[in-house]
Amino acid sequence: MSELLTEIKNRFPEIEVYEHNKRRLYLKISKEKIREIAYFLHKEKGLRLSIMTGVDTRDGIEILYHFSEDKTGTYYTVKIITDRDNPEVDTISDITKASEWIEREIWELLGVNFIGHKNLKPLLTSEDWPRDKHPLRRDYEGI
Amino acid sequence: MSIKLKALKKSPWVFHVAAASCNNCDIEILAALTPRFDVERFGILLVGSPRHADALLVTGVINRKTLPRVLEVYNQTPKPCLVIAVGTCACDCHMFKDSYNVVGPYDKHIPVDVYIPGCPPKPEAIIAGVVKALSKL
Amino acid sequence: MNVLTLLFNFLIFPGFLFLTVIGMFLTFLDRKITARIQWRVGPPWYQPYADFLKLLLKEVIIPVNSSKLTFLFAPILSFLSALISGTMIYYFLLYPQKSFLGDIIVILYFLTMVPVGFILGASSSRNPLSACGASREMTLLISYELPFIFALLIPIIKAGGKIKMGEIILAQTNLPFLYSLSGIISALTLLFIFQAKLGYVPFDIAEAEQEIMAGTILEYSGVCLALFKLARAILLLSLPALLISLLWPARNIFTFIIKFLIIFLLIVLMKNTNPRLRIDQALKFFWFILGPFSILGIILVLSGL
Repeated sequence: MSELLTEIKNRFPEIEVYEHNKRRLYLKISKEKIREIAYFLHKEKGLRLSIMTGVDTRDGIEILYHFSEDKTGTYYTVKIITDRDNPEVDTISDITKASEWIEREIWELLGVNFIGHKNLKPLLTSEDWPRDKHPLRRDYEGI
Repeated sequence: MSIKLKALKKSPWVFHVAAASCNNCDIEILAALTPRFDVERFGILLVGSPRHADALLVTGVINRKTLPRVLEVYNQTPKPCLVIAVGTCACDCHMFKDSYNVVGPYDKHIPVDVYIPGCPPKPEAIIAGVVKALSKL
Repeated sequence: MNVLTLLFNFLIFPGFLFLTVIGMFLTFLDRKITARIQWRVGPPWYQPYADFLKLLLKEVIIPVNSSKLTFLFAPILSFLSALISGTMIYYFLLYPQKSFLGDIIVILYFLTMVPVGFILGASSSRNPLSACGASREMTLLISYELPFIFALLIPIIKAGGKIKMGEIILAQTNLPFLYSLSGIISALTLLFIFQAKLGYVPFDIAEAEQEIMAGTILEYSGVCLALFKLARAILLLSLPALLISLLWPARNIFTFIIKFLIIFLLIVLMKNTNPRLRIDQALKFFWFILGPFSILGIILVLSGL
């Protein structure tokens, strides 16, 4: 149990930790706290946001934030869940510049609205793609 | 028409178009143009503009986004020109044929003359395909 | 009788036919030497003729909103200027007594019109990358004209101040101007300027393939492109002859061919061993390094060396 993990557990006591192996730690937290924990990990502890993942699961739409600690090579992945009918999360694009385009991509392909994002424009799909169809959802049938 | 194609046989100038590929075939095309494989003995030169080109080396599965751009590049190339599809994705979409963004392989939109399969094809295969196409002109 | 010999000189030798055929052969020689330096085989001997024939048979595409007359006129301008300057250089090499006063200035003018044709063509095709290539070519033209004039002044002053090509050639019957300090300075300056005029690395900034997609000649295809490439090939044939007639004249044809091949080999080797410069680095090189270098040569000439 590394000291960073004990610090996180002290700071956010309601967190659930799943240890995949020594270098991959999954921290499940509720979606209201995402800005706090992103500020804590990125700005105070100096971790780097490597990538974000969006998955459509049975419980809802899950977004994972992969923070990498470059000194030890450990990934601290923060996992949040929103419900599928009205997916909304606070944006962290003013904390890390790296999340700007990734949040645009998740909005475009999964339909998650990021509250407070300044530039939520389409990134990958073509100009004539219908904006209410989200290809990576499970119930996508084709346009 | 046939004397134009015969003149093209001895000096085909090549332009490289990559539409939504994974860039593996592009790396192999780049390797085929290095001094180790020496394509200049067939007269092949890499040119920087589609208006100078006689042969288009196309790679990748065409996207909805890249389709109008690829058609524009094909229209800008002065005819007669050869179109050479490099890689299995350009020949028939390979494993991406059911994806949401794919509009089909190249021969649905522009006339293709040579198909070079492989994922990615080796530079020797690319050169063999191009030379075989030139000798059949 | 006179008109017939004049037509023969302009159309066959040393005019149009000689310049185009031997010029294209020299581009083959350049590509073969480049291939050999890179340990590969290289194209066969008929390659530039096949390229030219293929370009003649392709369709010419004129961009929609370009100025069409200028677009079609620019390659003709470049080609004719290269042809006239090449014919004049070889004519005065063969018959030095037929030169007239101020012919070096005429040759200089026509040699400058060749890049002007490229600039006109690039500006008239409606393309931002061509405009970028045109501005680079203009900057390069301004930068290398200055040491070019200084380097041309050195043999003029050495021959006694006469601006006549024939006089300069005849004044070197005892000792060519190259075998003196100022002659060497002039020859080195001229070699660098030839690289820029021919559009070879390290000064092929205007036509940088990886950066601006063929730059000035981006929108050309077919016959017009063939004329541009032919203009460059004729320059490759006539510029070393200019250096030979100004600084190192040859008595008969065999020594001429040997001296020509030495200068040609230096140009090709410089092309193969150097990376490409940026436009501001090229400007600084021509104005602040070659400029004072050639002024030093003029001072040496005026003091007798």
